[in-house]
Amino acid sequence: MNKKRIGLKIATICFLFITLWFLQKLMVPKYVTAIVEGSLIEEYYHEETDHDVVFIGDCEVYENISPITLWEKYGITSFIRGGAQQLIWQSYYLLEETLKYEKPKVVVFNVLAMKYDEPQKEAYNRLNLDGMKLSMEKIKAIKASMMDDENLIEYIFPLLRYHSRWSELTSEDFKYLFKKDKISHNGYYMRVDVEPVKSIPKGRKLSSYQFGERSYYYLDRMVELCKDNDIDLVLMKAPSIYPYWYDEWDEQMREYANKHDLMYINFLDLIDEVGIDFNVDTYDAGLHLNLSGAEKLAVYFGDILRKTYGLEDRRGDEELKKVWDEKVEFYYSMKEQQLRELEEYGYLKSLGVEKRE
Amino acid sequence: MKRILILSLALLLLLAACSKGGNTAGDVTGDMPVDGNKDNSQDVQEGQNPDNNQENQEVNEEKGYEFVFDGVTIAMHSKMELILEKLGEPMEYFEAESCALPGMEKIYSYSGFEILTYEKEGVDHVLSVVILDDSVSTKEGVYLYSNLNSLIEIYGDDYTKELNTYKYESGQSQLVFLVEDEEVTSIEYLANMEK
Repeated sequence: MNKKRIGLKIATICFLFITLWFLQKLMVPKYVTAIVEGSLIEEYYHEETDHDVVFIGDCEVYENISPITLWEKYGITSFIRGGAQQLIWQSYYLLEETLKYEKPKVVVFNVLAMKYDEPQKEAYNRLNLDGMKLSMEKIKAIKASMMDDENLIEYIFPLLRYHSRWSELTSEDFKYLFKKDKISHNGYYMRVDVEPVKSIPKGRKLSSYQFGERSYYYLDRMVELCKDNDIDLVLMKAPSIYPYWYDEWDEQMREYANKHDLMYINFLDLIDEVGIDFNVDTYDAGLHLNLSGAEKLAVYFGDILRKTYGLEDRRGDEELKKVWDEKVEFYYSMKEQQLRELEEYGYLKSLGVEKRE
Repeated sequence: MKRILILSLALLLLLAACSKGGNTAGDVTGDMPVDGNKDNSQDVQEGQNPDNNQENQEVNEEKGYEFVFDGVTIAMHSKMELILEKLGEPMEYFEAESCALPGMEKIYSYSGFEILTYEKEGVDHVLSVVILDDSVSTKEGVYLYSNLNSLIEIYGDDYTKELNTYKYESGQSQLVFLVEDEEVTSIEYLANMEK
């Protein structure tokens, strides 16, 4: 009798936890057909092989470089652990976490995030943090990122944040309850559409052009972390013409790179050398490159990485080739699909992209 | 058994109660959180000459600071569509998708100033007005290159100073002056997004 009651209690508790787990799975946004950027961070955990190069940073990394081109052209394996408006402390902790899984030869950090010295917006925090597996690095990243009205517990148990989404649930929430479609190409967010640059806004006057102490603190830690792990750190500024990149910021990054013996490349200065044509190589008037632009940048940057850091061509590795063949196939099938959509609808319907007037 | 059931109920009640002021994932993944903003769509006024109207010289505390150009009053959070009707087409226009989140950042450039907007429920509202040269001034009469003394004389000393910026707040707006070598070098109206 006693055993029966204990068994019943255990079963009830298990039922309760399974229900809560199920509810959590159901309520959290799936980021598959809209705001797909929310899926990028977690896709890293499905990787089966290591990477020569890991990119970290904001949208200027995950929309501007094609890892598939790096593989096809140079046999370099890479992954982009980027997120929308990824703040530098998020990049740092993502890197720390990445090093638990693998040790890349080169880490590339996009420096636009240096402009943010404080957390900006919960929505962007969520896009960068929700996809991380629970770990000490995730907790530290959450603590560094939280806005005043946010709580750590709501990140650890997202159901507490999203429970009132029940009235917004769509078929997507049920369809992708347990398994989501792959969105990215090793962290790269593909867009084949074209929206040429028509005008370039001028930079507004700022009260101070000095990057904040907090930004430098995490950059210092990133340098140290890479040094301790014998990894070459590269600083890059992607060739995105907006948000405005000030000369004063550029100077600070050059000085920092010199002082720490790092490579810093500002691709805004190399638009012609890379071959970027802002009439055809951007899908949003110069903020981000489209597929053709991302491939051009990968060809140019890959050559620098290969020569400077002696990255080997790994296309001869049969096991690796098998894995990457699948990635290449997925890449071209998505490219075809997007081109078809553009032809049929005039916009990328599958990505929840709104039609431009 | 009863205790477990009570515990379960308590947990569910806790979840229901843990609502962040009614926020849902829509706020996290969608709309810009501009809770409680008054819709100022009626605030675009034409034909008023602020220099001749004492009442207009005083800052409307609810709307906050307003920029006036060519008789058109532009309050923060106003609907851009109505302003465009009055001001006409801009000299230059720039738009950019917000990174990942829905909505467009738009910049309308006119002679001497530009208007930036944010999108809320598919409608563009004024986010900020930036004065670009000394051909235009604030409604109260501060130009680019005005000196610091005249700025304080006009707007008073109820400002927040951070580095070399002087920030005045009123209603749903902020008026931010950048001062270098005792001279105003930047003037920006900003919609207060927290109120």
